Amino acid sequence: MSKFTIERVRTGIPGLDELIEGGFPRGDTILVAGKAGTGKSILAVQFLYKGATEYNEPGVLVTLEEPPHLIKRNMMRFGMDLERLEREGLLAIVDLSPSKERTPVMVGEYPSFDLSGLEAIILSHIRRIKAKRVVIDTLSIMAYKFRSRDILREEFFKLCASITGEGCTLLLTSEIPAQDTGLGVFDIETFLASGVIVLYNEKISETSRSRSIEILKLRGSKHSSRIHSMRITDEGIRVWPGEIPGH
Amino acid sequence: MAENTGTADTDNADGAIEILFFKSDSCPFCPRAEEVIREVIGEFDPGVFRLVVINVSEKPEVAEEYGVFALPTVVVGGMSVTGVPEPEMLVKIILGSRLSRKRRTTR
Repeated sequence: MSKFTIERVRTGIPGLDELIEGGFPRGDTILVAGKAGTGKSILAVQFLYKGATEYNEPGVLVTLEEPPHLIKRNMMRFGMDLERLEREGLLAIVDLSPSKERTPVMVGEYPSFDLSGLEAIILSHIRRIKAKRVVIDTLSIMAYKFRSRDILREEFFKLCASITGEGCTLLLTSEIPAQDTGLGVFDIETFLASGVIVLYNEKISETSRSRSIEILKLRGSKHSSRIHSMRITDEGIRVWPGEIPGH
Repeated sequence: MAENTGTADTDNADGAIEILFFKSDSCPFCPRAEEVIREVIGEFDPGVFRLVVINVSEKPEVAEEYGVFALPTVVVGGMSVTGVPEPEMLVKIILGSRLSRKRRTTR
């Protein structure tokens, strides 16, 4: 056996690191997919919060959907004060949510564009705060903003390479449409990432649902192949590595 | 305002219709889009438009402020077109912005 070991980035999410050999491989792109309400954004922001507060790794949160004031309010419920991290230079929130006052209404789109603007915006924040972790939440919103999906697919690959090329570990969230069986609206999400985590919130009876998490793939890692119980507690997401739903 | 960023190439005088053009150093479509915009502007009297060019590679914060991240993008009167625009489309949004401006002033 080779003694070569891959450097790991601890997520700090209780129970999760045990399932993935201690953390995500540093510099990789990880996809967190799930239907609406499964906890994707909480997991993603918790990854940044823990990085900043426990591992001295500043992070950039790129929000394409939810406005920052709502993200901050929601995370405060778990005792995670994002505003404080911003003040301390440990977190940068890039607000590209559609609700911004100055955002123009797009009345025309021609299939001759790239995402070099997004790349420039994200890289400027990475360099400013020397970020080691980046979250883009959520990739899926791009499918509703732009029609030219072929361009987006190609541009996502370039964008991911550019961010990880800065030494950052990138976490993308992807919303699985309600009736869909894939991992997102672009059909390429799984190829973009070297790791895929799927979150579930399945109805188990007329009156209750059960949350769970699955590590679908994680290159370079011996990860759990089972589906594990997960809960959203007062302190954010917690995974129970030994607990299998329905058992 | 984009004019105050120091990145803008400002054509024409104040009081003109402002056209914001977002481009980057690496975007292969941006030079052609800028040509189209300048051709359309050239068909009108001087002083009708003020073109503000924002190079996102140099001033990403301006693009972030406007929520513009796909390039090239042209913004006129709160409306935008992404990609290399057809001249007719540009004229259409310019007219649209003039109409909405008139509506505001006659209220």
